[in-house]
Amino acid sequence: MSKHKFTRACAALALTLVAGSSLAAEKKLTVGVADALTGGGAVYGLPQANAVKMAAEEINAAGGIKAGPDIYKIDVIAYDDKANPTEATNAVRKLIDRDGVKYILGFCCSGSTSAVASFIGNEKAVMLVGNAAERSITTKKIPNLVRTRPPADYTGQAAGTFIARKGQKRIAVLGALDVGFYAQYVDSVEREIKKVGGEIIAREVFSLKDRDMTPQLTKIRGLNPDAILVVGYVEPAAFVYRQAVELGMNIPRYGFTSGSEEQFLRVTTSEQMEGVWDLRPTELTLLSASKNGVAYHANYTKKYNASPSPSSPYAYDQLYALKAAIEAAGTAENTEAVAKALRNLAVPPQVVMQYQPVDGKMFDVNGQAYTSNGAFQWQKGKWVFVEDLPSDSKAYSQFLSTLK
Amino acid sequence: MLSVRDLKVSYGGIEVVHGVSLDVAAGECVALIGANGAGKSSTLKAICGLVPASGGSISFEGNDITRASGHAIVRAGITMCPEGRQVFPQMSVIQNLRMGAYTRTDPEQEADLSRMMDMFPILRERQSQAAGKLSGGEQEMLAIARALMARPRICLFDEPSLGLAPKIVASVFETLARIKAMGVTILLVEQNSMMALNLADRAYLFEAGRIVMEGAAGALKNHPDVMRAYLGH
Amino acid sequence: MLIEILQQTINGLAIGGVYVLIALGLTTVFGILGIAHFAHGSISMFGGYLTYFLATSQGLPVLAAIPVALVAGILLGMLVEILAYRPVRNANHINAFIVALGLTMMVEGINLQLFGHEQVVIPTGLSRVFRLGGITVPELRLYVIVAAIVLVVAMMIFVERTKTGQAIRAVAENRDAAILMGVNVRTIPLIVFGMSTALGVAAGIMVGALFAIAPGIGEGLVVKGFAVLILGGLGSFPGAILGGTVLGITESIAAGFISSAYKDVIAFVVMILVLLIRPQGLLGRAP
Ligand SMILES: Nc1ncnc2c1ncn2[C@@H]1O[C@H](COP(=O)(O)OP(=O)(O)OP(=O)(O)O)[C@@H](O)[C@H]1O
Ligand SMILES: [Mg+2]
Repeated sequence: MSKHKFTRACAALALTLVAGSSLAAEKKLTVGVADALTGGGAVYGLPQANAVKMAAEEINAAGGIKAGPDIYKIDVIAYDDKANPTEATNAVRKLIDRDGVKYILGFCCSGSTSAVASFIGNEKAVMLVGNAAERSITTKKIPNLVRTRPPADYTGQAAGTFIARKGQKRIAVLGALDVGFYAQYVDSVEREIKKVGGEIIAREVFSLKDRDMTPQLTKIRGLNPDAILVVGYVEPAAFVYRQAVELGMNIPRYGFTSGSEEQFLRVTTSEQMEGVWDLRPTELTLLSASKNGVAYHANYTKKYNASPSPSSPYAYDQLYALKAAIEAAGTAENTEAVAKALRNLAVPPQVVMQYQPVDGKMFDVNGQAYTSNGAFQWQKGKWVFVEDLPSDSKAYSQFLSTLK
Repeated sequence: MLSVRDLKVSYGGIEVVHGVSLDVAAGECVALIGANGAGKSSTLKAICGLVPASGGSISFEGNDITRASGHAIVRAGITMCPEGRQVFPQMSVIQNLRMGAYTRTDPEQEADLSRMMDMFPILRERQSQAAGKLSGGEQEMLAIARALMARPRICLFDEPSLGLAPKIVASVFETLARIKAMGVTILLVEQNSMMALNLADRAYLFEAGRIVMEGAAGALKNHPDVMRAYLGH
Repeated sequence: MLIEILQQTINGLAIGGVYVLIALGLTTVFGILGIAHFAHGSISMFGGYLTYFLATSQGLPVLAAIPVALVAGILLGMLVEILAYRPVRNANHINAFIVALGLTMMVEGINLQLFGHEQVVIPTGLSRVFRLGGITVPELRLYVIVAAIVLVVAMMIFVERTKTGQAIRAVAENRDAAILMGVNVRTIPLIVFGMSTALGVAAGIMVGALFAIAPGIGEGLVVKGFAVLILGGLGSFPGAILGGTVLGITESIAAGFISSAYKDVIAFVVMILVLLIRPQGLLGRAP
């Protein structure tokens, strides 16, 4: 390097430093959270909102978001949508119209999320969906919407393969089957077990508010199934597991609930849960967790005095994906550019979930991310990660693209 | 024993008893007679505390009971056998009788119960039947017996013969005569003036919320106005 | 098939017991005061929450927490009578109706403030299961059924065999005549509210141990309770007992043999069917 060049470089550096300190006056970026903070959906929504707030604090402490010349510190406003479509629509309208928010995170529950998804395409805003698993949320190719959690049937397919391999042929289903994504999960399971000559012999329903499952279970018991499959929210599902034991049903119990130990033990004893399988996105489990996962668990537990729900990192990861997209786009003002950047994003290093990128990208053309699926079993009071479930994100992504 | 002074009773601001004064001495049988709607029942209800007096005073054995509540008046010794019998229809006959002794704590209640059933054999026969299933006359007997179960110092009867067949009316009056003979003080309201005056020692004649005549029962019975208006002569 | 019917019957008995206890409380209050005490369900759930609170945060054994909650229920019921219903005792019926609705919202709000929106399950530690032929009876359900029977019998004895109980019936049947018997008609509603609320709290504890207590559950129960009253015949104790049991078992059997999706509708279908055939209810008296 010549002397001349060196002086020029120094001058340039000095200039940038000066410019940086004057131009990069700290700005504020307000992100909104619309999620179920009370009611039945709150077991998913509240931890998600907590996770976003925690991520915001971490990012702020580490210097904020650098968008071109600007540095943003993040502010979070969270509204309760009670997992209800009308409330969710109101919450998002308030965030956009009154609070001037451009980035909306959270979204644990499918009904409320679908309602918002139906109009978000017309807004100058970006929507990042978390735990809501209804497939159709990412089949409409809404350019300013992405989702961190894979659709339920992506997991259902993997679960079906697992059950088929275990060899039970006559499966009785008990679940929240009036909810689209749970029904889709069961349909995928059915497709897989049919391939090995199995069948679903009963589809019994419970609602979010049901706590007495003995009528349905008694009916199922009369059919002598080889196994039962429980798909639905944690709270009713916990009663299914407990009452199945109380009715003396001694057959394998598979499930798709993603509930924590704490959530189940509020309803059941550990003995009543012994041996239950949960076939679900791997999500956050200490046994299978990355370094990020372990740190997340520790920080969350310290901050909120409760362990994080396994699905809460979907929302935590939303904010880190958003940060990376804003930094890549070089702007926080132009939501179109940020939405485009999200679709082209490599998986950021700070995320907690273990994503399976499609063509090197965290979100596919549909705005959908994929995480690995796992088989967990309740053993002596704990969910134990037993194995990964075989799942092919690329093939599923292509299938998803064919849907409307 | 019972002394009513210038009693007024109103319903919703409309006065229907306009200053009635009457007395009943211990052991006496006093009749109140008069046309429909004259205010006889209202007077009895005011004495029992079922409706408030809007003026005047009521005293019983020297104590002012004008503003006392209904249950306190019963405990003081006044019981009423109300117009229309008012038995507890779904409770059994025997439960009705026991309710009569509600305020009592003495050990003789069961003895009184069997005494009442001796006096009214039909009640013994029907003791476990619902009171609402009894005939009108039987219900009247039950209401009378129930009132006596309280061992009242004074017993108020409001038209015990109302709506009963003549034969039954006669037996009701026989019963009242027996009660009188037992030494119970009686204040009797009756439309059946002839029979009431035959039974009573003294009587008051009500007209439109006022007492228009009073005196020995025999004297009233023979008074030409009473004879014309109430005795059908 | 037979085993399934028997099993469903046993399943339904526990919840039937809960319905009976709720309905008995409602019918006594209705009988005495002629009011539809809508807040009954929410207050009952308060008792369940209280038991949960004592048994978890306060570390009391559940068996010790239950009597405390029952006594609290008696006092709370009396308080409700004095503060909420007594002032409108002689007013137009619509006033008591509005008070009842307002009270429901208030108690639901208090429950939410004190105990949060999350469901709570009263930990009993009872997880044994008895087997009889092909039929299974969980220990907890058995105790719930037995407790419900004991409470119902105790209440029947109280009403039929004690002076106070008889006075309650007498006031329900003929208030003025009861006064003439020397009944203090101001204290009777107190006793009735105390007793009804204690029964309700017992039901709340049962729901909390068998299932869970959460916002809205109490309101649902009170609606079922009124359905039971109408089903059994307004003002009839045996009607409430029969109606509650029938409803519990019918729900269970219908959910098992028709569809669980309609479980809550079934209560009303049964009620309407019964009313078509017997307008006065199962054990009500013909008008
Ligand atoms: N609860 C009430 N509310 C309003 N008015 C009433 C009430 N009870 C009685 N009255 C009126 O008060 C007046 C006196 O009635 P009350 O029953 O005292 O008369 P009564 O002499 O007993 O008549 P009867 O011989 O018909 O029994 C009547 O005009 C009646 O209409
Ligand atoms: Mg009269």
